[in-house]
Amino acid sequence: MNGQLLISAIVLGLSMSGIYFLLTVGLSLCYGLMRMISLDQFFYYALGAYMVYTVTSLTGSFWLGMLGAMLTTLVAAFVVERLIVKRVYSKPVMFSMILTFGVNLLGVGLIKYVWGLSPKPVASPISGIMNIFGTGVPIYRLFVIVLAVVVYLAVQYFLNKTILGTAIRAGIDDAEKVEALGININRLFTLTFLLSSVLSALAGVIHAPFVMVSPEMGMSITAFAFMVVIIGGLGSIKGTMVSALIVGQVVSIGALIWAPLAEMAPFLVMMIILLIKPTGLYGSKLMNR
Amino acid sequence: MKRYLNSWSTIIIVFTLLYFLKAFLPAAFLTEVAIYSIYAMGCSFLIGRLGLTSFGQPAFLAFGAYGAGIYLYYFGTNPFVAILVGVLASVVVNMLVGLFFVRLNSSYFTLCNQAFCVVTFFLFQKALVKWTFGDNGLLLISRMDPTPVIDLTSPKGIYLFAFIVAALVWFFYNYLMKRSVFGATCLCVKDNEQKLRFLGYKTYNIKWLAFVIANTTAGLAGALYTVYFCMVNANIASVSSASEAVAISMLGGAGTLFGPLVGTFIFIGLKDIASQFIRHWEVLVGLLLIVVMLAGQKGIVGSLEGYLAKYTAKKSEPTPALTQEGGV
Repeated sequence: MNGQLLISAIVLGLSMSGIYFLLTVGLSLCYGLMRMISLDQFFYYALGAYMVYTVTSLTGSFWLGMLGAMLTTLVAAFVVERLIVKRVYSKPVMFSMILTFGVNLLGVGLIKYVWGLSPKPVASPISGIMNIFGTGVPIYRLFVIVLAVVVYLAVQYFLNKTILGTAIRAGIDDAEKVEALGININRLFTLTFLLSSVLSALAGVIHAPFVMVSPEMGMSITAFAFMVVIIGGLGSIKGTMVSALIVGQVVSIGALIWAPLAEMAPFLVMMIILLIKPTGLYGSKLMNR
Repeated sequence: MKRYLNSWSTIIIVFTLLYFLKAFLPAAFLTEVAIYSIYAMGCSFLIGRLGLTSFGQPAFLAFGAYGAGIYLYYFGTNPFVAILVGVLASVVVNMLVGLFFVRLNSSYFTLCNQAFCVVTFFLFQKALVKWTFGDNGLLLISRMDPTPVIDLTSPKGIYLFAFIVAALVWFFYNYLMKRSVFGATCLCVKDNEQKLRFLGYKTYNIKWLAFVIANTTAGLAGALYTVYFCMVNANIASVSSASEAVAISMLGGAGTLFGPLVGTFIFIGLKDIASQFIRHWEVLVGLLLIVVMLAGQKGIVGSLEGYLAKYTAKKSEPTPALTQEGGV
């Protein structure tokens, strides 16, 4: 294994980490703040990717596509939340899990109706190549890494430093008391749900130039997303970030050694971490429900 | 009334009726119902009696299917032995996997299971491609010898055999869920695991054993599948079918005895009818899941049993039975 390959694998791994983080931060927010597992995030991810394909091929601008994808997802997530998800906030996790899996399947089916089965290409918006230690690295990958870091900092700031974030966090511990303070907790939950879905869509948008956009893309990335969430510990944003970094590197360096390792190695890592700590790296025992 | 619903003779009557339904319905459909209901039974048991939802059931189906398939392709020709090998393979895998998975709480369990399903898919599609031939799969036509007594290579034989096996599985689960102490402790695990642990039970062992039993049932269905279709490919473990077992269980009523059978009958029937009109089948499964979950999560048999219980209670039955029915 030579150094150049290794450097490009590490950069690829970091950009994959960025995508995994953006995809799973939605799951983590939903679990951490609302105690629900929202599997429909994968539908928003695929929807984001398809919208960026459509808008980009219509207008020619990727950035416009990004905006369009996020707005469309916002509307879709709002409809889903009002019609379906709203009803299971107070129920055990299993309800939200099965229900949102149904939403996910429905979404995948609808995508197949609208866009057909054939995979669609999306051109990378930044085509330049940067030289790092003599290895050519596409600038777009670096952009993905920077974007993920920015989103991580923004989410942490939102949750810990703003009044709204504090209210959401208080809402988990004692919903009644928060409502007594005059805060509409259902509106906060809607807000959290929309925020997570937009972040998932963003993951789909920035992942689109890496892969072909296909209806099953949301399904095929579930395994990695779950591994990230489980290794980091459900509901912890910091844990999600750390485990996204681990999984990204394991995937890209594993693929260098033996191609099938890309899928197997993260699973082994997950198993080992679960053996040591059944709630993941940063998961708390309190969330045993 | 409830006593009649759960007795041994009911099972025999139901399966005999279903067997002779071939006069009206295509035999291929009924064979699929029989095999798929065995698969759904395991999932239904996990959800309804243990409180563990598994979106990774295709993985356990695949181990049974590949166990039988690899035996038939490389080693022997007897389909009965192949089914046995498939079941044994799935027992071994389940025992190992269970050691890890059963420790997790229910949310982690579900996510891990689905991840496991994807890994299994890659295992059979890419990592072991030399032996499993990935997406093309193992073709077993004319690799099976005709067997005495019940000829598994003929459609009639496999039809009869699938029903016998399904009836046996139902007998077993009837015993497990209604008569045995083990079934009762499983229900306790679902309702209040901490209390059970306080009473001195080792809940880990109970969950592990239940996990192995339920998923071996799935493995048995997988082995039957291989023999029935004379082929097995990696698609059997694909994630897109991961929800089917859960959908069937929820539709029929998770944890009820006849829930999986009713659920499978309706589900596969719908699938066969709808696939003539609808191109993409996921839409219907998704809608089904949403409707069943929003309509009360009890499923068809679960709700029916509720009504029956009410009806019979009015007709002066002194005390309702101690067993707890239906629901999640």
